[in-house]
Amino acid sequence: MARYIIKRLILLFPVVFGVATLVFFLIHMIPGDPVEVMLGETAMPSAKEDLRKALGLDKGLAEQYITFLKNTASGDLGRSLHTSRPVLSAVIERYPATLELTITALIISILISIPAGIISAVKKNSIIDRLAMLSALFGVSIPNFWLGPLLIILFSVQLGLLPVAGRESIYHLMLPALTLGMGMAAILSRMTRASMLEVLNKEYITAARAKGLSNFAVIVKHGLRNALIPVVTVIGLQFGALLSGAVITETIFSWPGIGRLMIQAINTRDYPLVQGCILIIALSYVLINLLTDILYAYIDPRIRYE
Amino acid sequence: MLRFVQPAFPCLWLKSYISRRIKKTDESLVLQRYFHTFIFLATSLFLLVSCKGDFISKKDELVAAFESSPTNLDPRLATDANSGRIIGLIFSSLLRFDEKLNLVSDLSEKWENPNPVTYIFHIKKAVKFHNGRELTAEDVKYTFESILNPSFLSPHRKSYEKVKAIIAIDKYTVKFLLSEPYAPFLINMTMGIVPKDDAEKAKRDFTIRPIGTGPFVFERWIADERIELKRNADYFEGKAKLSKLIFKIISDDTIRLLGLKTGEIDFIQNAIPPDLISSLSKDKNITILTGDGVNYSYLGFNLTDPVLKDKRVRKAIAYAIDRNSIITNLLAGIAEPAAGVLPKSNWAYEEDVTKYEYNPDKARRLLDEAGFADPDGDGHKERFRLVYKTTNNDLRKMIGEVLQKNLKEVGIGLDIRTYEWGTFYNDIKTGNFQLYSLSWIGIVDPDIYYSIFHSDMMPPNGNNRNRYKNTEIDRLVAEGQRVLSYKDRKKIYSKVQKIAAEELPYISLWHQKNVAAMRKDVKGFVLFPDGDFSSFKNIYKE
Repeated sequence: MARYIIKRLILLFPVVFGVATLVFFLIHMIPGDPVEVMLGETAMPSAKEDLRKALGLDKGLAEQYITFLKNTASGDLGRSLHTSRPVLSAVIERYPATLELTITALIISILISIPAGIISAVKKNSIIDRLAMLSALFGVSIPNFWLGPLLIILFSVQLGLLPVAGRESIYHLMLPALTLGMGMAAILSRMTRASMLEVLNKEYITAARAKGLSNFAVIVKHGLRNALIPVVTVIGLQFGALLSGAVITETIFSWPGIGRLMIQAINTRDYPLVQGCILIIALSYVLINLLTDILYAYIDPRIRYE
Repeated sequence: MLRFVQPAFPCLWLKSYISRRIKKTDESLVLQRYFHTFIFLATSLFLLVSCKGDFISKKDELVAAFESSPTNLDPRLATDANSGRIIGLIFSSLLRFDEKLNLVSDLSEKWENPNPVTYIFHIKKAVKFHNGRELTAEDVKYTFESILNPSFLSPHRKSYEKVKAIIAIDKYTVKFLLSEPYAPFLINMTMGIVPKDDAEKAKRDFTIRPIGTGPFVFERWIADERIELKRNADYFEGKAKLSKLIFKIISDDTIRLLGLKTGEIDFIQNAIPPDLISSLSKDKNITILTGDGVNYSYLGFNLTDPVLKDKRVRKAIAYAIDRNSIITNLLAGIAEPAAGVLPKSNWAYEEDVTKYEYNPDKARRLLDEAGFADPDGDGHKERFRLVYKTTNNDLRKMIGEVLQKNLKEVGIGLDIRTYEWGTFYNDIKTGNFQLYSLSWIGIVDPDIYYSIFHSDMMPPNGNNRNRYKNTEIDRLVAEGQRVLSYKDRKKIYSKVQKIAAEELPYISLWHQKNVAAMRKDVKGFVLFPDGDFSSFKNIYKE
């Protein structure tokens, strides 16, 4: 297992290198000039030249790329063009907010989807199943930019229970996490249901029933445990996607996470900051996938890594 | 701040109720129990969530919402409007604008202009910075010298180019020597004064812990979330009525307004989409104020374009646009039709210029005259096609669609291309456009004509993006900088406005009004034409 993890960790380097290169060239390909955006309308041309020089933007793209690679390799992601703060500390400052939101959303979605999926599978084609799957269809189809305001109108404006936006207390976390969690719950509950249905038809389930196990034990110990593997994969992938894809939810609820930081950086052509954000997101994505793979071994003892 | 109710009690009751109901022992019981546990968990979660929190703002604080985050709180470096609003609360300047845009004293007790190139300011005594130290002439000298220092990379350096020397005569007197007479000099004295020692030490980090002499003291800045200021008890004009100001950054239009409706937000200025104003005005708890502004929206041309360089074509387009309809229907009436760059309230405004009322017939005639005959009368064929570039802002896109329809009526085809801001701005700067629309904000001095119409000011030197060239305008706008008396300047700019309205390097669209929406209990706010928050120190809640 340890060897496997080390192998996977070594594989991180080519991935990060690939992402870094891709991001570097893509962001430089977008038209727009960070200096223009920074200095605005009134600046004199010489000031723009001075700034360009100070930021190292006057050098050729190849030279900038090599400097960027060198610095990234030594763990230096550079400084934001706008605030001249180190990129790493700006990203790290925002990361907890995104993590907090994503993990809560994940918990909410698991709490909703796994029970819903199991019940739907066990009570296949019953009213509960139909209702659960219908709401799952809604959950998948409703975009966050619509669900978010809808939840705000209900919980904040009409009921006055929860705050509209910001990140101050646990109450501020509820609506964005619910918004983000709903879509994921929908996907997961359908996944759980399908996977459970498949497992429940297996011979070992019949065998388990035949040896007189209680229904609960059959479903949870023999059924759910086997059905969880594809579900865990999806959770892992979704979690990674949420980390980078919470941009809309973060924007709606003014949640100061990494997604908003990245959008702002793109708008102002803050090259180092965009690169930093994407690198960190890519890194988390890869690590979460690794974690998911390791989790398999615990869920299914048959899986062993060399 | 939060009121808690004990969620456990109703949940326990619910659980015992459920277990009382479950008497069956059939095989589905276990499953049902699982289901009930789930309901129990979900209910507890809901009850926990439902503990009603008190999120509305407190009585001695004001919560204002911004649509985008201020980028820099150092007055010497900031360029965006929202940074300017907060800087105006933290810092004081030698002069400031009042609510009629007259220059009045702020830190200076009085000022003299003994000859055209010398300005002397007498600074008020016993004005304290938020760090407790007294403000002196040395701080004033340092502030402007740091802007002029090329290595400080201030975007405002150009405004002070004509300053040759700054001399601190004594502790409370400072003298500015200019290289030549420069009329807009005084409006540049509205720059916030920074404390020499702290600013020198903090360098560019001064933006994250700004120290000024204004009515409010910087407290904290959580990036992209909020900025908090507290009252300056030692403010030289008497302390503010509210003890705290909170600026929340909420970029979604709808959410910002919902915050105002719930009372979580007390105040929003200008960041209100026109189509949502009517819904707000129906709310009994909200007051809406509107007033004339200093922003100008225009349609820009690329004057090097073979079609657009013909004045008759530009006039035809001006006649073809139904401004009033756009103002009424898209802007909810929150704008005044414009006849030139300067708003009516400006001292140099000239009323007697050529105006272009909506007149499609005249537009068609002008196009015929210019040699662009309509190939098939009212049919589908067009005289020519133009490309109109704009940002991906919803309102701008809608305005583009109306322009498209207006121009179609006179036989001109219009392709609308929307871009994200950075890309759009780059195209405008590099001259890669035919038609575009943009706004100039904060127009207080007619000297703006120099930077947008003087032929030396074509990018990258300045903002003459349309590549306009007219020797008479060049002469006039240069003279307007040198002549100091308001009367003489007014004559000069009156000519400039007449020529511009006749030649149409820009088509004037409208002057956006200022709109402020606030909770009913917020009192004492005064709308400034430039959107300044000066009146925040007098705001209180009933």
